[in-house]
Amino acid sequence: MRLTVDGVSRAFGGVYAVRDVSLTVEPGELRAVIGPNGAGKSTLFALIGGQLAPDTGSVALDGEPVERLPAHRRAARGVGIVFQAARTFHGMTALENVMVGAHATTRSGFLSAALRLPGHHREERHIRHRALACLDRTGLAAWAHRPAEELPLGQQRALQLARALCGEPRLLLLDEPASGLRAAEREHLATLIAGLRAEGRTILLVEHDVAFVMRLADRITVLDLGRVIAEGAPAEVRADPRVIAAYLGPTAENSEIKTDPAMVRPPAPRSGDRGVHP
Amino acid sequence: MRRRLPAVLLLAVLTLLPPLLPERHLATFVLLALAATVTVGVSLLMGYAGQVSLGQASFYAIGAYAAGLLAVHGVPPLLGLLAAPVIAAVAATLLGAPLLRLRGHHLAFATLAVQLILLSLLAQADWAGGAIGLQGIPRFSIGGFELREDLGYAYAAGFVLMIAVLIARNVIESRAGRGMRAAATSETAAAASGVAIGGYRLAVFALSAAFAGLAGGVYAFYLGYLAPGSFPVLLSIEFVVMAVVGGLGTIAGPLVGASVIVLLVQALNTLGTQPGMPGYAPAVLSYAVYAIVLIVCVLYLPKGLVPPIRDRLSVRPATPAPDHV
Repeated sequence: MRLTVDGVSRAFGGVYAVRDVSLTVEPGELRAVIGPNGAGKSTLFALIGGQLAPDTGSVALDGEPVERLPAHRRAARGVGIVFQAARTFHGMTALENVMVGAHATTRSGFLSAALRLPGHHREERHIRHRALACLDRTGLAAWAHRPAEELPLGQQRALQLARALCGEPRLLLLDEPASGLRAAEREHLATLIAGLRAEGRTILLVEHDVAFVMRLADRITVLDLGRVIAEGAPAEVRADPRVIAAYLGPTAENSEIKTDPAMVRPPAPRSGDRGVHP
Repeated sequence: MRRRLPAVLLLAVLTLLPPLLPERHLATFVLLALAATVTVGVSLLMGYAGQVSLGQASFYAIGAYAAGLLAVHGVPPLLGLLAAPVIAAVAATLLGAPLLRLRGHHLAFATLAVQLILLSLLAQADWAGGAIGLQGIPRFSIGGFELREDLGYAYAAGFVLMIAVLIARNVIESRAGRGMRAAATSETAAAASGVAIGGYRLAVFALSAAFAGLAGGVYAFYLGYLAPGSFPVLLSIEFVVMAVVGGLGTIAGPLVGASVIVLLVQALNTLGTQPGMPGYAPAVLSYAVYAIVLIVCVLYLPKGLVPPIRDRLSVRPATPAPDHV
C-alpha cells in the first residue's frame, strides 16, 4: 500500500506540532521517521492512523484521501497500528485481545452473535485460528489464555503487534516499538519487523532509537520542530549535517547513538559515510 | 461442557424451583426473575461496555407500557410481548444517539433525567392512563391458552431471564462483544483495530434496553395494571445495586445480585411489619438496605460477590513461563 502525506499541518493552541509535512512511502517500503523529542513524530503518526485530523493537507492510501476518515474506517482499509503505550484490553485474555485485531476484516455483528446465526461459528473459528497464528509469530503462544493485563510489559507490546497483524494490515504503523525493551527483546523485534517487510507489507516506523532504525529502514525521514529536515537512505541521513545538528545537538558525546549499546560501531562508519556523501 | 454447566444449572433452578415454592412466594420469584433480566442488561452495559445507566427502569416502563397498551387495544398478548423489547430498543437507540456522546457520571445523570421526564410524561398521558394508571390489561395468552396462575408467570419470567442470559453470553463471546469490551478499556486502540465505537455503544445500550423491555412486557401481563409509580427512580438504582453487588463483568453476577437484594429486602420487609414496629419501618429498612449493601460491597467486595467465589472455585490451567520472547 502506498502512503502519501501531502502538506499536512496540525497545530495545538497556535503552536504547530507538524507543519507542512510531505512524504511518500512506496508499497513494500520500510520507512523510518526519526527526530528528537517534540519533533512531531507522534502527531504525524496520529494523523496517519486517524487519531487526529490535520488542519490542512491530505493523507492518502493508494491514492485515496483518508484524512477525514475515523480510525476504524482506516483500519478497514488495511492500516494496522502499534501504539507506543501498551494499550492492551483489560479483562480479556491475550488471545481475545488479538482476536479484536481481526475486527476490520470480519463482519458478524451483535444480532448474528446474539442469535448465533449461521456463519457465526465459521467466522469465529477463522478469527481464532488467525489470532493463534499471530500469537505464535510474536512469541506469545504460551500466554494465550492469560489475562492481558498480567503480561509483562515486553509481552504487552508484542501483544499489540500480534493484534495489529491479526487485521492483516497492508500498512503497518509502529510507534517506538523498541522503547523500553531489553536487548534480546529488541533483537527479536527487529527480526520480526524485517520478516514483515519481506512479506511485502508497507511499514512506517516512528522511532527515537536511531541505531534500531538504521539497519532496518529502506529510507529515513527526519523531523525537527514539526518539519521534515532530511530524507534519504540511512547512510545519507546519518551523514547529513542538518540531521547531526538537529538530532544529535552540538554535543554529540551525549547523544543516544553513543550511549545505546545496540549501536556498536559509532566512529568508524560515520567517517566512512562522510566519504560517500556528496 | 464446562462452558454449558452454568446455563444448565440456571435452567434447572428456573424449571424445578417454582412448583416447590408456596403460592405466596411465587410473586417474589416472578419479580426477582424480571429484576435479574433487567440487571443482566445493566451488567452488560456497566461491566462489559463501561457505560452507566441510572435510568434503566425507563426501558422497563417503556416495555411494560408498550405491551400493556397493545394488549388493551386488542393486539394478541404474544405480539405485545414481542413488541415490548423492540420498542424499548428503538427508544434506547433514539435517546442514545444524543445521550451516548456523554461519558461516565454525565451519562449516568442524563439517563436519570430521562427517567424523570418519562415518568412525568406518563403521568400526564391520558391515553396511557395518566397518573391513575393503565388498567384492564388482559392476562397473557397464546391461542386459547391463558396464563392465570402465578406459577405460569414464574415460568414466563424464568424463560425471559434464560433468554437474556443466553443472549448476553453469546454476545460477550463474539466478535461484536470483544469489540465492545475492548472499547471499555481503550477506545483509541479499539478504534484502531476497526471497532466502530459509536455504533457499538449504541448497540449495547439498545440491547440492554431490550432486556429491560422484555422483562417489562411480562410484568405488564402479570400485574394487569401499570402506573408511573410502579417505575420509580429507586427501581433504576436497585438494578445498578444488584449489578454491582453481584459483580460486574460476569453473567452470574446479575443473578446472584438480584437474588441477594430481593431476598434481603423481603426479609427486612417481614421484619419491619412485625408487631411493635413503627409504621414507617418497612420503607426505611428497604431503603437502608440499598445504601448499606452498596457501601459494604464497595468497601469489602469491590468486584462484587461472584468474581471472588469464581476465582476460588476455578482451577486456572497452569501456564508455563515462555522460554523466549
